[in-house]
Amino acid sequence: MATAETVDGLRTEALKAHYARLQRWGFAWALWTAVLWGAWYVPGTALWYEKPYVDIAADDMGLRLAATAVMTWIHAIMIFGFLLLWNGALGKIPDYGRTIVRFRRISKWYALASLCGGPLAIFGSYMAMGFVGPVFAAVTSLFYPVIGAVVARLWFKEKITGRAALGMAIIIMGGIAIYGPGLFGELDISSNHAWLGYVGGIMSAIGWGLEGAVAARAIDVSDPDAGIQCRFTFEIFFWGLLILPFLAAFTDYPIGTLIVDTMTHGKAVLWILLAAACHAYCYTSFYKSFTLIGVGRGEAIGNLYAIFALIFIAAFTLQLPEWYFLIGLVLTVLGSFVMFSEPAESVAQLRDIGTGVSTP
Amino acid sequence: MKLHQKGFLLVELSRSASLWDEELIARTLREYGLSGEYWENSVRIALDELAAGGLVARLQSDLKTIRGKPMLTFHYALTDFGKTRMRDTGLLTEARTS
Repeated sequence: MATAETVDGLRTEALKAHYARLQRWGFAWALWTAVLWGAWYVPGTALWYEKPYVDIAADDMGLRLAATAVMTWIHAIMIFGFLLLWNGALGKIPDYGRTIVRFRRISKWYALASLCGGPLAIFGSYMAMGFVGPVFAAVTSLFYPVIGAVVARLWFKEKITGRAALGMAIIIMGGIAIYGPGLFGELDISSNHAWLGYVGGIMSAIGWGLEGAVAARAIDVSDPDAGIQCRFTFEIFFWGLLILPFLAAFTDYPIGTLIVDTMTHGKAVLWILLAAACHAYCYTSFYKSFTLIGVGRGEAIGNLYAIFALIFIAAFTLQLPEWYFLIGLVLTVLGSFVMFSEPAESVAQLRDIGTGVSTP
Repeated sequence: MKLHQKGFLLVELSRSASLWDEELIARTLREYGLSGEYWENSVRIALDELAAGGLVARLQSDLKTIRGKPMLTFHYALTDFGKTRMRDTGLLTEARTS
């Protein structure tokens, strides 16, 4: 017959295993975010080499931004389709409906998250690319977990342990080791419009960083799978009902023609479809990781996309990255292990709020 | 329209001093007309997420045999932070008025 001590011992072991499993799932979701985000760069970049986008001159920033708005809207619609499949398979579509109707108190946070991660971050990133260069845009985006972690700390007391902060710093240094050397050939301080690029870089880091913290306000009380579908519903509305009609009405950019041309070019549709598949499940994993390991850790591990993007691009183009990629690889893997080595029990309670139980 | 599932779990917890997850699972499955292991585990994951976020606290745990497998069950209570979040998101008002 089992003694009370044996039963207690078994329960303690089971508790340890339970917390370790939650931590593993949280990091696994964050790693999927990075893998799928990296994979997204292949179709995301290939799209610019297809009609109608290949005909847009690289220095025609206005038209490039208008084209970005068009492709992002079509991309969001396709993502919505992939999320319908996901939530349909999980049986969560009714919960999506029940969540999105509570706009005033809950789903407005998903709407705000889509504004941060959509127009703010994407436009910022393109401004950084266009007015300074793509390497600068990539480097500034790497800082988004810092914004996310700081806002999550200030806003809902997310615990940022010393080890999590160290891991985050090592991962960011790894990203800089990959992209940083390319900056020397790219920065041109004599350019009159460079400041627009710097503003864009800051916008992208703030946009993506804030998205996690803003979305977490709603994920706290709702399902992350249903939540991500709410987020993309609002993104479709923002681009389709506000930004594109505004551009069509008040500028000379051929918005209607771009939409029709995109949808009638099979290869463009195929690349957007593939990009949307990656992005839909990348974002699903992103939101699911927040619930188990927090916004700061989820976003920091998500930063490993820098590694996966280069690996996927090398696999498809057979162009090997520069040698310093290896330094970045070592640093990002090391940073991830530093984070993962935190005690699972500490990760199991993400907020610094004490027990705060009002009833015994 | 019914509340979304996590909202329902929070409201149920706000109406009791504390509840075991088995009771919360039974109430949730009854409310939404669901059954089976998949939905039971789905509710357990939602409770894990609520506990990680600090909205609910685990007061006790027990090791039981469920469906022939050893499984941890938890006794949950709403935290003060959980109450604040429910007020922020309009869930606590509904718990009081309904």
